[in-house]
Amino acid sequence: MKFSKTLCAVGMMALAGFSGLAQAQWKPTKTVDVIVHTGPGGGNDLLARAVAQMLEKEKLLPVRMQVVNKPGGNGAVAAAAIAERKGDSHTIGFITSVWIANPLTTSEAKVTLHDLTPVARLLLEPAVFAVRADSPYKTLKDFIDAAKAKPGELKQSGGSVTSRDNIVRQQLQQHTGAKWAFVSFQGGGERLAALLGGHVDMMVIEPQEAGEQIRAGKLRVLAQIADTPLPGYPNTPTLKQAGFDIVATPQIRAVVAPPAIPKEALAYYEDLFNKLRQTASWKKYVADNQLEDSYAGGAELAKAIEAIEKDMRTQFQLAGMKLVR
Amino acid sequence: MNTFTRKGDFWAGLALAALGIYIVSQAWGWNYMTEEGPGPGFFPLWYGSVMVLLSLALVAGTVLKNDPKSQKVLRWSELRRAMTCWAALAVCVAIIKYVGFMISFGLLTWFIIAIMFKRPQKVALAYAIGGAVGFYALFSWGLELQLPVGTLF
Amino acid sequence: MDIFNGLMQGFSVALTPMNLGMCFLGCFLGTVVGVLPGLGPPATIAMLLPLTFKMDPTGAMIMLAGIYYGAKYGGSTTSILLNVPGETSSVVTCLDGYQMARNGRAGAALGISAIASFVAGTIGTVLLMLVAPPLAKLTLAFSAPEYFALMVLGLTMVVLLAGDSLTKALLSMMVGLWIASMGTDLFTATSRFTFGQTELLGGIEFVIVAIGIFAVGEVMSNMEPEKPLDMLPVPKGLKNLLPTWQDMKDCKYAFLNGSLIGFFIGILPGAGATISSFLSYGIEKSYSKHPEKFGTGVIEGVAAPEGANNADTAGAMVPLLTLGIPGSGTTAILLAALVLWGFKPGPLFIEESPALFWGLVASMYIGNVVLLILNLPLVALFAQLLKMPGYVMYPLILGVSIIGVYTSDSSIFQLSLLVLFGLVGYVMRKLDFPTAPLVLGLVLGDSMEKALRQALMMSQGHLSILFRPIPAVLLCIAAFLLIVPLFKKFNSARVQMIDAEA
Repeated sequence: MKFSKTLCAVGMMALAGFSGLAQAQWKPTKTVDVIVHTGPGGGNDLLARAVAQMLEKEKLLPVRMQVVNKPGGNGAVAAAAIAERKGDSHTIGFITSVWIANPLTTSEAKVTLHDLTPVARLLLEPAVFAVRADSPYKTLKDFIDAAKAKPGELKQSGGSVTSRDNIVRQQLQQHTGAKWAFVSFQGGGERLAALLGGHVDMMVIEPQEAGEQIRAGKLRVLAQIADTPLPGYPNTPTLKQAGFDIVATPQIRAVVAPPAIPKEALAYYEDLFNKLRQTASWKKYVADNQLEDSYAGGAELAKAIEAIEKDMRTQFQLAGMKLVR
Repeated sequence: MNTFTRKGDFWAGLALAALGIYIVSQAWGWNYMTEEGPGPGFFPLWYGSVMVLLSLALVAGTVLKNDPKSQKVLRWSELRRAMTCWAALAVCVAIIKYVGFMISFGLLTWFIIAIMFKRPQKVALAYAIGGAVGFYALFSWGLELQLPVGTLF
Repeated sequence: MDIFNGLMQGFSVALTPMNLGMCFLGCFLGTVVGVLPGLGPPATIAMLLPLTFKMDPTGAMIMLAGIYYGAKYGGSTTSILLNVPGETSSVVTCLDGYQMARNGRAGAALGISAIASFVAGTIGTVLLMLVAPPLAKLTLAFSAPEYFALMVLGLTMVVLLAGDSLTKALLSMMVGLWIASMGTDLFTATSRFTFGQTELLGGIEFVIVAIGIFAVGEVMSNMEPEKPLDMLPVPKGLKNLLPTWQDMKDCKYAFLNGSLIGFFIGILPGAGATISSFLSYGIEKSYSKHPEKFGTGVIEGVAAPEGANNADTAGAMVPLLTLGIPGSGTTAILLAALVLWGFKPGPLFIEESPALFWGLVASMYIGNVVLLILNLPLVALFAQLLKMPGYVMYPLILGVSIIGVYTSDSSIFQLSLLVLFGLVGYVMRKLDFPTAPLVLGLVLGDSMEKALRQALMMSQGHLSILFRPIPAVLLCIAAFLLIVPLFKKFNSARVQMIDAEA
């Protein structure tokens, strides 16, 4: 009798232990959808596909990861799609800073990042200030001084008016009192072509895009925007080193999830991406693409998003844009 | 006087004039010119205005030129069948959310063959089912493309 | 490395069994992808990228490039047979191609499309091989003012697409311009004409408008008679199954026109293949001895745009390979692929990776031949599709339209837009509003506005920037193209008056 009681007790303890373990180790059981806001081949689409491939290679995910494209509205459509899947633990989304900027100026963007669950920050995108190799500006100060001398005459090519390129320009303009024009082009290729062809004087460009032009001697880099100095640019001053003590609003790539997902799922994904960043494939990807690895968990990401949003509000208002939120 | 109100051009002209006026009124609310160049209101203001002018010219043309040969008169009897087909398509798309592509497309096919072309029911059903299954096999299964799935199927 | 040696090296790379196989696979996939509306090379290449990591990079690049230009061969198939543009740039082929099918000459249309694609694709590759590096400078000389002038030139094509009523053609074009401006303004982040809908923030996809107006509108139109036309005429006999020698002779200028226009517009990153097809069609029409027949099923009206969109792919390779600048969605992914494989696309690319560059060029020659051999027999096969009775064809067209829209942007909202534009297309047909100018306005409107605003931003508001050499020349050509038909009309009116008096 005593023996069977002991057996029962042991059995019950084991059962309790197992269920406790099972509860703490939630795993996805069907395909995980990754929603991105670009079409196939766009920035986040390629990142998502690369991540899916890395997770498979390093065997970190027991199920398949599928990329779902929801382009349109600078992220508004994708954000709405994620919000619709409330509570679904098999959906995540990849975001960039445009998801923070867009709702501030566009009233049709009904879903903001405050409605979604932040999971993890993955990367920071550094950038460099580039001019043509045959231009007279050797340092960033040269360019700013020239701009001060001829207000509004120098030109910078860049993306939309809410992009990082323009925000950095606004920050520099306020800090130094110089003024120069900003010409928006839809695609990175057009911006670069405008600079190379002599139609604009300067641009803020990702090191990845500029690399080859610099190597061929067509572009010169004046300064870099990065938290940690870029390995490929040991002689290029950061903004602070160049004499401009401002912190450029960062361009982040992060992971979010639908609202109201279970805590265990959130913890799982946070842990998953933490494990990913320690793998060799990830390190190689970051190095090849000249990005900055910058992991942060959900809570820290939420704070980072708040900070960026606050920054953007200030800059947009100073630029004279109408804020709708 | 009434002869021109039946002319398609008359109504088309009015509709386009209305659209043009809407465009211009919206463009008015945006910046025409900013310090950096033309604003968002610049282009719409121009093509909206040209639209208004041209459509009024069109309307004027129908009123002044009473040549029956040069302008189309619309009759409901001609439009009826085409509009029925369109309505069927609209219904098909409306129900895709609930029943998925296969069923709604099957229904549309059946409708076109059985009702609009008045073929025998067997033929209609055969093509409806064959078509739906065929599309599914080719796209969803063979090419792994997403076909609209509804809540039911 | 001089060209002859380079090419020999290229062929030695391209003719290995492995790379030949890759070329064939790419061409085949490309044709399939081109035939299917809605599914395009960008999506396909993006999906295949992970698989290419395990392959030899040269072979992989050959395959992906094969998909890119192969799709342009396949794109004309549904345009001709079903009036559904298989690729955005094939929309111009619908204008005369579908009419040829209705006249029983589907085979000739499909055939000339393949032949024109071959001729123009090959000429384009020759030009790529000979003048790629010097052309890089031309690519860079083009910026906003030049693009604006080019778009204006494109819009003057409306005069050539007008048909009877210029007023209606212009109104059509204005509506196209309006649809093009829907969405978020790039320069000020203002939303325009979005009616409060999130889904309209990105504007309306061209594919939806084209398929709606062309395909759905046509189906509705065909439903009108009490007993709708049961079958489209099937080409009978070999004469109608393939283009005749007379056809080929008629098209000799069309081939040249398509090749040159397609290639030179292709090298411009900011101008797409659709623009080159429109321009090529327009120029063909303006130089034709029978311009009034365009739109009713004239074979040159198929040969010119089809050639143009193939030469365009060869042209698009120029900025990609000589500068590392992508000109379109597909070339952007090809660029990303090159980077992923460890290549360095940029000004030093041809010097540093000659094996890849010349191997690619050689494979493009081979690929065009492969595609011609692949597509010509398919002409007979596809033409037989027309044997299907109308009551099977029309649901098929509607089904393909729905799927085509859904695969390009999976949302019910976009499908409802398709239905809406179907109605628009039908109404336009009933009221004799030409549909081509609407499509033209839609394609060009957005680019033209952006180019003008960028140009004025660059010049701080001075219009004189538009009179730099290149824009000035283009604007003069546009003015010329506008004046010549008017002059012809004036002249013929004068002749009529003289005859009447005599």
